Amino acid sequence: MRIRKIKTILFKIAKYMVLAALAYQLLYPVLYMISMSLRAPVDAYDPSIIWIPKNLTFTSFKEAFQAMKYLAALKTSLLIGVGCALLDVASCALAGYGFARFNFRFKNIFFGMVILTLIVPTQTIILPFFLNMRYFDLNGLIGVIGRATGGPDSINLIGNKISFYLPSLLGAGIRSGLYIFIFRQFFASMPSALEEAAYVDGSGPLQTFLKIMLPNAKNGIVTVFLFSFVWHWNDYYLSNQLLGTAARTMTVALSSLRVDLAAYIGGQTISDPIGIVTRMQAGAILTILPLFILYSFTQRFFTDSIEHIGIK
Amino acid sequence: MKQKVRRKMSYQTKKQIYGFLFILPWFIGFLLFFAQPFVESFKYAFQKLEPSSQGFVGTYVGLDNFKFAIFRDTAFLRECVNSLGNLIQVPLILIYSIAFALLIKGKYTGRSFMRAVAFLPVIIGSGVLMQIIKEDVFSQGIKGGNSVYLFASGGGLQDIFVAMGLNQGIINFINRIISQIFDLTWRSGVQIMLFLAGLHNIPEYVYEAASLEGAREFEKFFKVTLPLLTPMILLNTIYSVIDSFSDYGNQIIQMIYSTTFDQVRLGYASALSIIYFFMIIMVLGLVYFIIRKYIVSPDE
Repeated sequence: MRIRKIKTILFKIAKYMVLAALAYQLLYPVLYMISMSLRAPVDAYDPSIIWIPKNLTFTSFKEAFQAMKYLAALKTSLLIGVGCALLDVASCALAGYGFARFNFRFKNIFFGMVILTLIVPTQTIILPFFLNMRYFDLNGLIGVIGRATGGPDSINLIGNKISFYLPSLLGAGIRSGLYIFIFRQFFASMPSALEEAAYVDGSGPLQTFLKIMLPNAKNGIVTVFLFSFVWHWNDYYLSNQLLGTAARTMTVALSSLRVDLAAYIGGQTISDPIGIVTRMQAGAILTILPLFILYSFTQRFFTDSIEHIGIK
Repeated sequence: MKQKVRRKMSYQTKKQIYGFLFILPWFIGFLLFFAQPFVESFKYAFQKLEPSSQGFVGTYVGLDNFKFAIFRDTAFLRECVNSLGNLIQVPLILIYSIAFALLIKGKYTGRSFMRAVAFLPVIIGSGVLMQIIKEDVFSQGIKGGNSVYLFASGGGLQDIFVAMGLNQGIINFINRIISQIFDLTWRSGVQIMLFLAGLHNIPEYVYEAASLEGAREFEKFFKVTLPLLTPMILLNTIYSVIDSFSDYGNQIIQMIYSTTFDQVRLGYASALSIIYFFMIIMVLGLVYFIIRKYIVSPDE
């Protein structure tokens, strides 16, 4: 008996040691960023500094903030992130509910198409997608209207946030297929007695969906919102192309920070990685800060919902 | 008359129509923003595209783009092989994320903290940011400077290795492995999440039944947990393969992107992406074919 007790205690200790090691190595980059960004640039690689900076300074943050044009980038990223996340939730919840609760012809083929959108890398379709937005004509519809009213044959949506909103509204945004999948799993795992009661009371399917199902899928909604926000926030290729020169998202601003810093701290630093590292890390922190804030608020719903997205 | 027909419509037909109406917005989006660009991409691959005032004008060039990609463009084929080589990470990611998910599943003090940390890579582990973190964190180790990954600055591992008399080659090798591990853990966020979801889906009574029959812990894992996780293993393998092929740092992705937007060789870029797409489909087909045999349906 006693040996057994010792065994469990040893096992527990071992488990916590492994957990601590895993936590440390996942938190390491974040701690590194914080430690680096608060140092004075000359101290960047001072071997006598372990974690705690010798001279605490915020100049790196100030310079990165200016070079990234932070507030403008923050606004662009927030508008795209929040807007697309809301639209993704709306369109993908509808589709997910349709796939989870109704039987209709070719349903499996349609769902196969959802999966296909996940498999094909964006780069395969990015060029026609881009041209589609550059000469947006809804398959000639706008051209017809244009000829009738003397307007243009097509609209240029590049540089306009509509080029992000429209695909999200129609369930074709960044990784929308995954959100449809998540919602489908969610609704499929909810008891159907809920809906039947509503149907007996005379509600139509849409009403039932809005009043009964959606409020009960709170965790799913939070999860999809978080995913969509994060992936729009972190996206580089589409953001860089679709927004053109009109605006930069945070990620695009971060990717060119190395170059942009030159204007603020002199040209010689680009070729000198040591001189730039504290500002780069400050820029990285500034980029993920809003994500952290959002994550800390939604984390509870998010981890709860994980228990509900099994494969059925 | 119309009224009559509508009233005659059975409950089933009505439900069918409602079901389709629910997915209709997605379907329109699918046609406009996926199917159409996808077909266009195939068309472009056989064309040479020149800019004009109203979009691009293409002339048919047959298989020229494909021939160039395969026989003339040495970089493309080499990077294809490299991309395939990167897949070696996939089994490692799977093993690591199953282990991690098992570790953080149960009830223990610090559970919510561990979970929050475990999903950190989902939140910040993508694209540009990862590139910056990796470059800066590892530039120190690679430069043979005074610090190494796990011990920030001020000596640490590197000094210990030097003191042990290891030569620079071995130290670099260890550095590379450490950086690979780093890469591995930061690519496993979504996978850990899905495995955790899968683990929670295994009902407790299955384990109780196994205990009653005298199964040991490792038997429970190999005979109960692992078989019941197979659907998640398939999903995660596919996810990891796609993730590896479409990552921001993937050389082919960067090549296609720069051929499109920097060099503006649109037809050629389309041909590259089509070849790449078929390569991915073939790998996924192979993965599916291999794993399919082992899948245990949860109903049985």
